[in-house]
Amino acid sequence: MWSIKDARGNGPRVAASALALSMVATTAIAGSALAQEEREINVAIVGNPQMEDIASLTPELFTAETGINVNYVFLEEQTLREIVTRDVGAGGEQFDVVMIGMFEAPQFGRNGWLVDLNTYATDDEGYDVDDIIPAVRDGLSYDGGLYAAPFYAESSFVMYRDDVLTEAGIEMPTAPTWDQVADIARQIDSEDMAGICLRGKPGWGDLGGPLGTVINTFGATWWLEGADDTIGEAQVDQPEFAEAVSFWVDLLNDAGQEDAANSSYNECTNQMLDSRAAMWYDASVAASNLEADDSPIKGKLGYALAPTKLTDASGWLWAWSLAIPQNAPDPDTAWEYVRWATGPEYLAVAGDLLDGGWATVPPGTRASLYANPKYQEAAAAFADITLQAMEAAPIDMPGLQPRPGLPGIQFVGVPQFQDVGTRCTEQISAAIAGNISVDDALSACDAIASEVEGEEW
Amino acid sequence: MTANADPMGPDPDAERAAAIKKFQRRDKWRRRLPLLPALLFTIVVTQVPFLFNIWFSLLDWKIVPPRGPDFVGLENYTEGYSNQFFHEAIIVSVGMTTAAVLLSLALGLGLALLLDRQFFGRGIARTLLITPFLIMPVVAGLLWKNQIFSSSFGVLNAIVESVGMDAVPFVERYPFWSIVVVLVWQWSPFMMLIILAGLQSQPTDILEAARVDRASKFGIFSQITLPMLRPYMELGIVLGAIYLLQVFDQIDVMTGGGPGSTNVPYFVYQRSIGGGWDFGQAAAYSILVVIASIIIATFALRVLSSLFQRQEPA
Repeated sequence: MWSIKDARGNGPRVAASALALSMVATTAIAGSALAQEEREINVAIVGNPQMEDIASLTPELFTAETGINVNYVFLEEQTLREIVTRDVGAGGEQFDVVMIGMFEAPQFGRNGWLVDLNTYATDDEGYDVDDIIPAVRDGLSYDGGLYAAPFYAESSFVMYRDDVLTEAGIEMPTAPTWDQVADIARQIDSEDMAGICLRGKPGWGDLGGPLGTVINTFGATWWLEGADDTIGEAQVDQPEFAEAVSFWVDLLNDAGQEDAANSSYNECTNQMLDSRAAMWYDASVAASNLEADDSPIKGKLGYALAPTKLTDASGWLWAWSLAIPQNAPDPDTAWEYVRWATGPEYLAVAGDLLDGGWATVPPGTRASLYANPKYQEAAAAFADITLQAMEAAPIDMPGLQPRPGLPGIQFVGVPQFQDVGTRCTEQISAAIAGNISVDDALSACDAIASEVEGEEW
Repeated sequence: MTANADPMGPDPDAERAAAIKKFQRRDKWRRRLPLLPALLFTIVVTQVPFLFNIWFSLLDWKIVPPRGPDFVGLENYTEGYSNQFFHEAIIVSVGMTTAAVLLSLALGLGLALLLDRQFFGRGIARTLLITPFLIMPVVAGLLWKNQIFSSSFGVLNAIVESVGMDAVPFVERYPFWSIVVVLVWQWSPFMMLIILAGLQSQPTDILEAARVDRASKFGIFSQITLPMLRPYMELGIVLGAIYLLQVFDQIDVMTGGGPGSTNVPYFVYQRSIGGGWDFGQAAAYSILVVIASIIIATFALRVLSSLFQRQEPA
């Protein structure tokens, strides 16, 4: 399930520390130089392509400059969340830097689990904190504190094979409705190529993400807003919720990819790269991989905003970000890493060093990237619409009614949502597989969501 | 056991008797002493955590959102007792354990009978048949999920598609039976080994006598071999049930929970560190499970052994 990649350049380092040691011994100077020399941090991150890229560049770009060894631990999204919550929430000291998202950052900050990065970020001129896209910065803040620095940020949109649609004589609107997208998917669905790839794997951040935006735009919500920071009545038994879930399940059954109940972001990436799916509604960051220099479908894609039904916009907002736990042994060293990984310099040089080229640089976090001519050229197909989608993301009012918790689009910003969303999507995923009926899934889901009614968040 | 003094011997001298008693007591302790570290260790690693667990089960204690710990008495138990998903998990646990134990016992018996014969390459066959039991549960789960059941890369689906049918996402569509298949695959060798030991300890003279008496092959099997295997099969069932009730790895890597595959251990994991972060509630569930398994195990063992005893030949 998880692998440890060691990103240190061992040979010269050992020699250097040995030298330092002997110097300290002979001159009898206190050990600060030695401590400097042997700095090492543990970083837990999710195993998506952009993170693997930065890990591969760390020894040459970071360790060589600073002398800090970085031990990466790659985890699956769901596993990462468990480990991070356990480590950060229960006061473990396993990691110096953890990767979290927009769901966790403000909540963990509110709980006092994370170091406020505002002082670090504003005192550090080279970091240029004002370069960070405001919506992203807001999403990672709570009560004036910045609790995580964005590594890449995304909205959601539709990616489609322009060549396939053109051949079928279909034109995709730039701001389609879900009915239009579903129609197109059913029309172009064929034996060799699924009409659309959608997530079906259980997990509030897997199936729960895109389905959450559909729930919003269909006029449904998980809970009503309760009085005094509590969770109100569960709304899973409402007809709009059932309509949204049935829409998703039916579309997957009619025009979805193979093995839908087991697919998430990475599986759909592969389906698209293998030309086994003609459309995909998912994170905007996916375009970076589909348009990479080594992608077989580079240049064949078109993009449209997240489909809507009753609301004006439905795209989500998310940022995979780096945070420093409150009890990290050496937050200053951890910040040195965070500032490098999320700062403007990495974005300025990574494109020339990566196999996938400039298109695969982590997107969505800084305005300076979008002003970089090399990036503009490589990401011409999707850069503008990514920015447009992120600006359009309805973070203040994602649906038709107020909901409990901190701001969130594809998730409800209450801690209870992690558990409810995951167990509920297990039910919906089983309905996608045909193991149980949608009605059974929804009634189980309603029971799960009702368990936390009236709880404080 | 050594007896340094004879305590039964009549002794008029009371002092002497007291001295002997004292010596005996010291002797007993001297003999226990080497055992004490192990005993203490066992108590520390099993019973102390259990006491903590009982204490936790009386608390309202969550990490997400941070709450407690506050003493709430038996509230966690009453809530847990009436939770529909806990009931479903119990049904899955009982069903999965029963199905996997019985199927692997049947398969193990069949394999053991085959291996009991003399044939060329028996050693190799035996080693190959034992292998699944030696594979790590996580690896077995992933292997079956990705290389056998998967609708994209699975061998099984390649066969299904080659006869012109649509690929079936087995794990997602039939989570319960997919997991049972993996468990049976892993546990049949275990049953086979135990039963094979029973078969090879059969006294050959009885079998010979039966053959001389012209007993049919089936008669020999059902009247002599099977009853003789009874204690071995009982052992296999008991050990298999104990281990299979705790199945977690295969479920975690194959389905990650869900209808038909969340058993009690997985459910308790989800309520605690697996996303629920409700330590009080999870502790209460686990204690309910301990109580239930003690009752069931006692009851089931009695039924089982009386059932087998009735079949014993005259």
